[in-house]
Amino acid sequence: MRRYKTSYPISWRFMDVLEAAFALVLPRGGGRLTPYLLLTPAVLLVGTLAVGLLYIGDSSLRVLDRSTFLFSDYWTLENYQRAFSESFTATIIWRSLVGAVIVTAVTLLLAFPYAYVMVRTSSALLRKFLLVALFLPFFIGQVVRAYGWLIILGNQGIVNDALALVGVEPLRLLFNYPAVLFGLVQYMLPFGVLMLAPALTAIPEDIEAAATSLGANWVRALFHVVLPMARPGLIGAGVVVLTLSLTDFAMPAILGGGSQDFVANAIYDQFFRTSDQGFGASLTLILIAVGSMTVGLIFAVFGAGTLALGANRK
Amino acid sequence: MNRSPTQTIVFWSVAILCVVALSAPTLVVLGASFTAGNIIDFPPDGFSLKWYVAILGERDLQQAFLRSVIVACICVAVSVPAGTLAGIALSKYQVKWAGALQIYLLLPFTVPLIGSGIGLMLLFGELRLLGSLWPIGIATAVINLPFMIWAVSSSAASLDPDLELAAQSCGAGPLQTFFNVTLPAVTPGVITGALLMFILSLNEFLVSLLLVDARIVTLPVQIYNSIRAIITPDLAAVSVVFIAVAALAIIILDRIVGLEVFLKSK
Repeated sequence: MRRYKTSYPISWRFMDVLEAAFALVLPRGGGRLTPYLLLTPAVLLVGTLAVGLLYIGDSSLRVLDRSTFLFSDYWTLENYQRAFSESFTATIIWRSLVGAVIVTAVTLLLAFPYAYVMVRTSSALLRKFLLVALFLPFFIGQVVRAYGWLIILGNQGIVNDALALVGVEPLRLLFNYPAVLFGLVQYMLPFGVLMLAPALTAIPEDIEAAATSLGANWVRALFHVVLPMARPGLIGAGVVVLTLSLTDFAMPAILGGGSQDFVANAIYDQFFRTSDQGFGASLTLILIAVGSMTVGLIFAVFGAGTLALGANRK
Repeated sequence: MNRSPTQTIVFWSVAILCVVALSAPTLVVLGASFTAGNIIDFPPDGFSLKWYVAILGERDLQQAFLRSVIVACICVAVSVPAGTLAGIALSKYQVKWAGALQIYLLLPFTVPLIGSGIGLMLLFGELRLLGSLWPIGIATAVINLPFMIWAVSSSAASLDPDLELAAQSCGAGPLQTFFNVTLPAVTPGVITGALLMFILSLNEFLVSLLLVDARIVTLPVQIYNSIRAIITPDLAAVSVVFIAVAALAIIILDRIVGLEVFLKSK
């Protein structure tokens, strides 16, 4: 015979107490407020970011007095005037924008075939291998990856050592613009492929087969069928890669060696080297504006793709 | 389906090129960590574990690693409950101003990392919180929160609301319903999200760099500071820690949800 006592275990009693306490605090389980209560912690967390943006806005309107090293107690647009009049700002924004556009184009060009092969292959093992090859660098982080490139491309690096074995003079492969762009493309590839792959999965293979059976060769099938259908994915991937590379810090810092700064590096320098917080803050807001305008332009011309509102993958 | 051989060759060549470019830094760091020489050389100077022994004696690196783990744990502890509740709320309930709310919750993705980092640095500086580790944990939780919400809401969509009603009509209170019905249904999403948050926080470099001072550098910042001077193999040995953690995370992720889930069209 089972003991009667165990039919109402201690954990149930515990739960009862909790439920009673919960009902005291929130009668009817919060009622219609429930979703808002559930959202509160997340909203508060993101709130720190919103407040942080306000602080940046405030700092950007205060100008540094170079004799006292204090910031003005009044608001002025001087930092912005300086940013727009100095050629330094234009150079750095231009370098970042051009770099981001090149990186985006090359990344999409490489990511598309990768995603296509991964999605269409009939071998589950191969698909797994391609996924792991994608996730491993994605999970390792930028600094370690950049460190790997230093070992490979440095003056005493693997490539130059190998070249020396066949009698070629060492090449300067690092600390130039192409090195930064190369590092960025490698960093962005997983983002590009992972944003593209679902869009390719959504294209039925039969449609391609139909195109080729009607006489289109693979290039025509690609340009008239697959690419147009993959457009939302291409836009989504493009926007993510563009904004991430436009605002990147680590690759220009490590692979550019200080000579190929992007906007993020310039902002860092203003805060930590020059200690001109106001100018740095105005650069930060200009970067956010340039980024948003570029994305807005893409959305206006091409549509919002997979990033359309509500595509928060419900 | 029959594909043109040219297409196969072109696409495959690109894919192989990508695999090489993606794996090269990882493999080289792994290889360099086992070198017997004092500098990183090619061809390698033979195999040894001496750099692994060396990092056992380097307190700086160990402490930096420990700090990174603490930051990642704080990030998980903060972001997982917040993101789980938000994900459930967004996918299960009709929320007013859902559009505006989504834009707001996606702020961490739309504001560039340098902007988020500087903003949080100014805020935490004003609140006199800089100099300890937990604000860094909070910061990495904030900047990666959309990943957590996404992971949970994508698995909450498969939760049948009738199940919750059934539990309630059988006499379960709101808490019991939540813990015994709702939460188990979204567990795969919660675990995926938690794993992502841990890895992203452990690896976070830029926001860490902005929020640390010399006494509390995290491991990515420590590595960054050291590679500016000279490239020695002990850094490679430490970097292998990141590679090992990444590999472990991929194995767990594959076991729990399967990596193929990232290929599904929505």
